[in-house]
Amino acid sequence: MNILLVEDDKQVGEFIVAELHAAGHTCIHALDGEAGYQAASKASHDVLVIDRMMPRMDGLSLIKSLRRDGNNTPVLVLSALGDVDDRVQGLHCGADDYLVKPFAMAELLARLEVLHRRVSLPGADTQTRLVVEDLSMDLLRQEVKRKGTTITLQPREYKLLEFLMRHAGQVVTRAMLLEKVWGYHFDPQTNVIDVHVSRLRQKIDKDFEHPMLVTVRGAGYRLGAELDH
Amino acid sequence: MQIREVLNSLTFRYIAKYVVTLSATVFLLVGAYYVYFSYTSFRELGESVLEELETLQLVYRGQSLAGVEQYIDDQMASPSVARFYYLVTDQQGEKVAGDLAVAPRYREFDDGWLGFEMALQNRGESIDVEFLAHPMELGDGYRAIVARDYADIVERAELMFRTLLRVMIATLILGITGGFFSAARTLDQVERLNRGISRIIRGKPGQRLQVEGEKGYIRAQAILMNQMLEQMETLMQGVRRVSDNIAHDLRTPLTRMRNDLSQLRHRMAIEEGEQLDRIIEECDDLLSSFNAVLRISALESGSRLAGGNEVELRALLQDVIELYEPLAQEQDIVLELEAHQEQVCKGEADLLFQMFTNILDNAIKYTPSKGVIRVQLSFGENDTGHRIVVADSGPGIPAAERENVFRRFYRVESSRGEHPGHGLGLSLVQAIAQYHYGMVKLTANNPGLRVTVSLP
Repeated sequence: MNILLVEDDKQVGEFIVAELHAAGHTCIHALDGEAGYQAASKASHDVLVIDRMMPRMDGLSLIKSLRRDGNNTPVLVLSALGDVDDRVQGLHCGADDYLVKPFAMAELLARLEVLHRRVSLPGADTQTRLVVEDLSMDLLRQEVKRKGTTITLQPREYKLLEFLMRHAGQVVTRAMLLEKVWGYHFDPQTNVIDVHVSRLRQKIDKDFEHPMLVTVRGAGYRLGAELDH
Repeated sequence: MQIREVLNSLTFRYIAKYVVTLSATVFLLVGAYYVYFSYTSFRELGESVLEELETLQLVYRGQSLAGVEQYIDDQMASPSVARFYYLVTDQQGEKVAGDLAVAPRYREFDDGWLGFEMALQNRGESIDVEFLAHPMELGDGYRAIVARDYADIVERAELMFRTLLRVMIATLILGITGGFFSAARTLDQVERLNRGISRIIRGKPGQRLQVEGEKGYIRAQAILMNQMLEQMETLMQGVRRVSDNIAHDLRTPLTRMRNDLSQLRHRMAIEEGEQLDRIIEECDDLLSSFNAVLRISALESGSRLAGGNEVELRALLQDVIELYEPLAQEQDIVLELEAHQEQVCKGEADLLFQMFTNILDNAIKYTPSKGVIRVQLSFGENDTGHRIVVADSGPGIPAAERENVFRRFYRVESSRGEHPGHGLGLSLVQAIAQYHYGMVKLTANNPGLRVTVSLP
């Protein structure tokens, strides 16, 4: 993945760059809003990671300018401002995701993958059938089959599986599941998501030799084999 | 206010004691004066009797018996009521002159003083009057007795005594009534003060005591207490700021540490890193409690909800319950929702969702296997506002602890160690409810805990 990071805090920026490199991505680091704007306009990137509060041009203005220019590269906002209002404001400006500082690197990586994948698979929203290995989901008939065997799912399990299948091979964090599958942004106190996932796992993996839904330690879950970058 | 309360009050008892002591002192003083007055009156009376006897003797020596007779007749003719009475007897004891009968029944006192009673005519009435008398030898065997009535002295003394008694009773009654009312007034003021204080204790630390309308030392006390509250609040805020700063400043290095650890973990084989996994979990735990502290602070110190979106409470509660259903089933707990209709309130759905998940999370954590958790949505009293009740069948929270559990990091002693948590869940619940202009109340569910959230 080819990433542009716009972050005025040198230390934080360098850390993120190093981590992204370690994860096998290429990353350019711009130190303020204006430099970020120029870098984003000059070359194309897979994903932009933009801080909110920066000298010369703040993150939200930068996103607005890019969108005005017709640049639709997915944007993830990184910010210390984590209130509900701040998040809504950020997403309103054209950002695709919003992550509050400080964050776990695994969370950032997982979210960047998801953003990247969404764009690299155009037409994903109009698909009528999702297939991951021997698991298939018919979106019109709302039917799930593995190796030809029909699997009955509760509505929420179905949504959970749909999300996992759309992001097959990617790490999906618990916070992402809560946001995307349940539609609420909040901090669960207990492992409530794990229970849902293990129920789903019971249904899709129990009678089969090869487990599809795996737990990624310290990060989240992944459906199917790991993707190559 | 109870009468008994007033009677038992310190002020009343103080005033009553004061009045009784004052009365007793006055009584003793006036009593002493009464004794002194009676004593001097009698002494003067006696002296006048002796002087009269001396006059009689002088008259006898000068003009012998005839002069004495003449003198006595002159005195008897005087219209004064308060006059001397005389008896002159000869050698045989026969009456020679005077207006007293011979030897009435005398009572004898010291120094030859005699006392008797005699009826006097006063304005056509016959009154028994006490007399004081003294005999004297005039010479040649003639004896004289001069007597004087002392009814006026007794009357004056009695009058004085009665007046004194009345004044004392009046003083006591007035003093004690006055004491009662002033005690009642003070008690009333103190009670007002107490009500104010308990209101503040019951969780309105921003409020102050009413100073207007109070007078005197109560006013001074209220002002002082307000100053004390002011100072306490400043200190509390200081402590809170410090804990916020700690959470804020530690969050970044902790995140970095967590990231480094997870990097390290990736380089290890799955079986080797169990210890590291636990450390990472601990880090996440710490981070989430730091985040919770900062969120609570942000909610508490910032302005409250302005506008907000329309939130469908029944749908939101259904989502919460749906999220927790598997967890409840895993522990054999029945989770029920009772909501008859959709209710819409203004708010932030994410925050409200967080609030209800915290409540439900607690309920599931403390409800034993085969227990029941009932969530009810209804309108508030008088059909205004919304009320959400989450009632579990767990061990509940002792009444004395129910206010404390809203404090940050506070955990009921018996649940320490037994259940995981940081003691922030209910603090966040309260902060979110108050952010929405609502409130949270904990009551007993017999058995279990009943959490009632009221939203406008």
